[in-house]
Amino acid sequence: MKAIIITVLLLTTLFATCQEYHKILIVNGYLHVGNGQTIEKSLIGIEDGIITMVKNNLTTSYSPEEWDTIIDVKGQHIYPGFVAPNSTLGITEIDAVRATRDFDEVGAFNPHVRSQIAFNVESKVISTVRTNGVLISQATPRGGIISGSSAVMKLDGWNWEDATISASDGIHLNWPNSIAYWKSPKEGNEHYLKQKDEIYAFFEMAKSYSLASKKAEKDIRLEAMKDCFSGNKRVYIHANEIQQLVDIIEFSKHFNLSFPVIVGGYDAHLIPEQLIHAKIPVMLVRTHSLPQKEEDDVDLPYKLPYLLQKAGVQFCLQNEGDMEAMNARNIPFLAGTAMAYGLTMEQAIRSVTLSSCEIMGINTLYGSIEKGKSATLFISSGDALDMRGNQLTLALIDGLFMNLENSQSLLYKKYKAKYEKGK
Amino acid sequence: MRLFLFLFSILSFSSIYSQSQPENGAKDSKPSFYALEHATIFISPEKKMTNATLIIKNDKIVEVGKNIKIPQGAVVINCKGKTILPAFIELNSSIGLPDLTKKPWSSRPQYESTKEGAYYWNEAIHPEIKADALYKNNAKKNTELIKMGFGFALTHQNDGITQGEASFIALNNEKSIILPSTISSFYSFRKGISRQAYPSSQMGAIALLRQTFYDAEWYKENKEITNISLDNLLEQMNGSLFFHSYDKLEILRAEKIAQEFKLKYNYIGSGNEYGILNDLKNISSTIILPINFPKAFDVKNPYVARQIPLKELKNWEMAPKNPMILSRAGIDICISSMNHKKANDFWKHLRLAIENGLSEEDALKALTVQPSILTGTDHLVGTLEKGKIASFIIYDNNPFQENATILESWMLGERNKIKETVNHNLIGKYNLIVADKKFPFEIKGDSKKYKGTIQYKVLDKDNIEKDTSVDLTILSSGYDVTLHFNVFDEDWKGSVNLQGKTNDKYGIFEGEGLIPTGEWVKWSAIKTKKTNPKTKKETSIEKDTTYQLWFPNTAYGFDSIPEQKPIVIKNATLWTNEEEGIIENATIVIHNGEIAHVGTKNYKTPSGAIVIDAKGKHVTSGIIDEHSHIAISRGVNESGQAISAEVRIGDVLNPEDINIYRQLSGGVTASQLLHGSANPIGGQSAFIKLRWGASAEELKIKEADAFIKFALGENVKQSNWGSYNNIRFPQTRMGVEQLYFDAFLRAQNYQLLWKEHHKSGKNKPRVDLELETLSEILQSNRFITCHSYIQSEINMLMHVADTFGFTINTFTHILEGYKVADLMVKHGVGGSTFSDWWAYKYEVNDAIPYNAALMASQGIVVAINSDDAEMGRRLNQEAAKGVKYGGMSEIDAGKMVTLNPAKLLHVDDRMGSLKVGKDADVVIWSDNPLSIRAIVEYTIVDGKILYSQETDEELRKRNQAEKARIISLMLMDDSDDKRIFIPKKEGHFHCNTIGEEASTEENKH
Repeated sequence: MKAIIITVLLLTTLFATCQEYHKILIVNGYLHVGNGQTIEKSLIGIEDGIITMVKNNLTTSYSPEEWDTIIDVKGQHIYPGFVAPNSTLGITEIDAVRATRDFDEVGAFNPHVRSQIAFNVESKVISTVRTNGVLISQATPRGGIISGSSAVMKLDGWNWEDATISASDGIHLNWPNSIAYWKSPKEGNEHYLKQKDEIYAFFEMAKSYSLASKKAEKDIRLEAMKDCFSGNKRVYIHANEIQQLVDIIEFSKHFNLSFPVIVGGYDAHLIPEQLIHAKIPVMLVRTHSLPQKEEDDVDLPYKLPYLLQKAGVQFCLQNEGDMEAMNARNIPFLAGTAMAYGLTMEQAIRSVTLSSCEIMGINTLYGSIEKGKSATLFISSGDALDMRGNQLTLALIDGLFMNLENSQSLLYKKYKAKYEKGK
Repeated sequence: MRLFLFLFSILSFSSIYSQSQPENGAKDSKPSFYALEHATIFISPEKKMTNATLIIKNDKIVEVGKNIKIPQGAVVINCKGKTILPAFIELNSSIGLPDLTKKPWSSRPQYESTKEGAYYWNEAIHPEIKADALYKNNAKKNTELIKMGFGFALTHQNDGITQGEASFIALNNEKSIILPSTISSFYSFRKGISRQAYPSSQMGAIALLRQTFYDAEWYKENKEITNISLDNLLEQMNGSLFFHSYDKLEILRAEKIAQEFKLKYNYIGSGNEYGILNDLKNISSTIILPINFPKAFDVKNPYVARQIPLKELKNWEMAPKNPMILSRAGIDICISSMNHKKANDFWKHLRLAIENGLSEEDALKALTVQPSILTGTDHLVGTLEKGKIASFIIYDNNPFQENATILESWMLGERNKIKETVNHNLIGKYNLIVADKKFPFEIKGDSKKYKGTIQYKVLDKDNIEKDTSVDLTILSSGYDVTLHFNVFDEDWKGSVNLQGKTNDKYGIFEGEGLIPTGEWVKWSAIKTKKTNPKTKKETSIEKDTTYQLWFPNTAYGFDSIPEQKPIVIKNATLWTNEEEGIIENATIVIHNGEIAHVGTKNYKTPSGAIVIDAKGKHVTSGIIDEHSHIAISRGVNESGQAISAEVRIGDVLNPEDINIYRQLSGGVTASQLLHGSANPIGGQSAFIKLRWGASAEELKIKEADAFIKFALGENVKQSNWGSYNNIRFPQTRMGVEQLYFDAFLRAQNYQLLWKEHHKSGKNKPRVDLELETLSEILQSNRFITCHSYIQSEINMLMHVADTFGFTINTFTHILEGYKVADLMVKHGVGGSTFSDWWAYKYEVNDAIPYNAALMASQGIVVAINSDDAEMGRRLNQEAAKGVKYGGMSEIDAGKMVTLNPAKLLHVDDRMGSLKVGKDADVVIWSDNPLSIRAIVEYTIVDGKILYSQETDEELRKRNQAEKARIISLMLMDDSDDKRIFIPKKEGHFHCNTIGEEASTEENKH
């Protein structure tokens, strides 16, 4: 028999560096496809990093000799790699050390600034994030009015080129506060209108540039904006408050943006029809955050995913906020909380997998475990959305086995050994 | 005989002027007396007289009452229909004093006083500032106050913590006049223009003020070297003390100091004192109330309206009732004009307070007699009784009831006409005759603003005469009247401008004027019909004195605080944290705030018990957050000094922080509120139960041991404070160690001094609040929670403690505790850590989420804390990470947020487990509490249900209804002058937040 059945534990010693398997079959795991479906005892075939077969083991038979390796994960759960959209993960390392902060550039309109090239694949933080099942991130710049272009990245690779899924998936626009709290009321409102005018003017300029067949002179800013009007480039617009949201809808229509996305959307649940009609999805404000107004429902951030799901607005979860890079490892539990507050388990999983990938435009290859997609997935011994169940036994990115150790688990082992020896 | 007495009394009323100036020429001529007759006079709050007479000589009142004989030579003024009020007294004013200027900001912090001279060491303490030396009469500013009805003011410079002495001034146009009064000094918790780093927080200001009083007490007995500041302070402490409060809670904070030093403060309020009514009833202070009630918000845009916090809406509704509520509760009040620029607004607000139930008598008392008592000037001012200073104001009617005009102000007997006192009524129909033409016209409106129309005939196209009506402008001043209108008829095309005199008694106008032909003509007008002016309805406005407060008066406040009732929770899965472990299908009985039964055995249901069927639910002991910064006002760090052991978080609790309720919704029942980590020796901690709706003092767990926060590492050496904060010792971990040694050595010496004093009874040492606290640590009467990250400093502090013979109680954060767990066990210290945080600064590079499990495995008592209002609500999830990282058992993981923090806080005899006799701090969960699906259904504190999903649902609806109700009231408010809402980002205090304002910055712990 050519195929070998190995236990999962052994695999933790396998690295992408030494991997030779080309045809992998994962059998008997409880599959969460990512699109809402499940298969209790699944068969997942992977060839050269691509999923070639997703079937039910109860109704399908397979011939073991066709596979280089067969992994039996009976009793365990299989998930598509979780996604951390809108994150500084990989472009910052230690928040308080300026030398490690590579996400905020000088200038108001910086669409040409690309986060992709600052992405540090060897970030120690990343190593602790992927071991909780988060395998894809959207490295996102911050600051200014247009912070720059984000990039969708795999959380494993040799260098940023190697790790890139989508090089410049979208630009990030920070919508101004509709009522500026640091200004007098009148000034505040004028300030808002002025800032909005600036944004409109910039987009007018960018759109005209994009329509011109002959370019007199190349402009790096406007070049970076081109695909927002006709191509695939997203315009991620960061805003929470209802006045901002309705203004963004108007703005998106005005410029006929290809793919506008609202990031934050704390008030989105108040205007679902408008968002659905305008086809604007929402990357929801961090689930684990406090209500923004004191009389808001104490659990409002927890149940926003459910409210949008119920209303039919396309959304995914993200975790912008305090210590977001390090906290990206808790994205599974954001989904878990969203589940506790109304989503079904599969809806919750979709909100950190397929939905995220759809919104970022990488769903043809990523976001679910379906035939033809990349084998970017992980296996957990228990419910990955629960702190107690989230224990990775195996993870693949583009079909390559990932090291499940990180700097922290190594320190743990080192000191555990010290104390065990001391006894 | 009567006449004789009268003359006698005149002689006794000498002028207040004590000095006579040389005259340039003959002395100024003055009437010997003024007699104001037929007036309505408010002689005093209790005594109002109609048709009364007031006799004045020089600057004094010599007689007031009815049927008074007018002395010969008196100038008699007829005040029929007019109202005379004594001049009001403003207690909170800086009138006539120079403006304050702050030194320019410098990027380098200033740790020491830059004030030269024999003064106190802190620039915010300057009792030596005296208004009398600085005061200059300012006629323009005086006029502003006089228009509001004031004649006197207590003026002081509102700057600093002990601000100095005020002067009682009499407003007038010419001279700087200061009247003798009780020594009046002012205080606050704001350091003002001082640039000295200390204090940087309200708790620091409180500590500084207390230390100042202790220093003064000691100085009194030990005046070896003169201190000008303390000399002044000692003098002022015997006089009248006024305290600026900027929130109702500050009154309670200052009152604690007043009681400590047996002082009596009178408080300048902030307008929301209705919220502490019961506390105010127990103190005898006078509250000086602002009445610049908040304006209604502009709520036309619902997007904006929904952002306005409910508590601000509620305060808008309650504020005008504040004077009524206090006054009816028997609390002495004064009314101040503070923050009013326009006299009209002041009067509008005063009448609004009266409409809201403040009686006229109480209002007048609050403006006159009460302030005069506080300043010891009641023998001179405050009423219009015989012998008092003749400072009063004549109004055209009762200003408490309706819009009134000030006709004359009399300041120190000097008459000052403000408005011509002709009170005639021009309203009616007239015929105007000018240059042989006749124009009927009508005057409408009221005496403040007349409106008119005038008619003339024109020929239309068909040559038919038609009446045309045009506007007529009427201006009247005294007996002068101006009429103006435009005519376009056969003869005249243009303006008619007429000027003349009026005699309204006969209804006649006459005079001269210009007509469109350019001729100068005579004119007259005769009233044809008298129309009565609209008489105001005499029915007084129904005074609305009802109101309802929530506890606290903010979103999610209770209508009334839930009662302690017996509760039976049956069929539950109980996480006992005791030997029994987890018991299925069991019952817990709560009675009198304690746990009365736990288990599956028979129990008695107390009568009147609430019975909760908890089938499928889990019950745990309430979560205790060992490290929290919620419910704190104005500063979590006293960062002005490296050692601030004297400050107390317990001084600045804010029981209205919505985060208390939010924590309850996450099953938290008690939180240790810690000082931040800006300095190696921080401040004293407060341990509270989350008794939502209770007062600040009631939150505190009375019987709990005392704790203090220490800190190590980057924050205390100011590593992340920018390049200019590098002059405060220590800047390295090496310095931190030596700072501790020095501090504890000083504390040892301090103890020795007291010991000697107790033995000999001599040489009483100066009370030093900082060293007092450090001595408590040395005596193991106060315990240390130390913010710590890396192993070197953890080890260091344990050695310091060993040297001085005490034990560190808890290392908090302790992210490298796993590296020195064996040493920690040896020292006997506990660890309170984060489940998985790291990477936020350099010193957490080696933090690992397995830390809790590793430390626990070595026998350390380990807790998981939040240090974060958000995470505090889901500490159960954080505890569950102990299972994920390091494989703890679920029971052990659960203990990390219940029993273990109770142990670390020395309250495990009362809290932390489900055991008969312990406090009934209990949570009912929808699921296994460590499950991501667990949702809190009930949170019970001291046997009171302070959170339940059901009540929460109701409160949400009620919040919305209340918001809608007040918003519609605001929409109906017809004033044009609306407030535009400016949203404020909800800030939070973190370990590293510097200053008095909550931060919206990232939490760097």
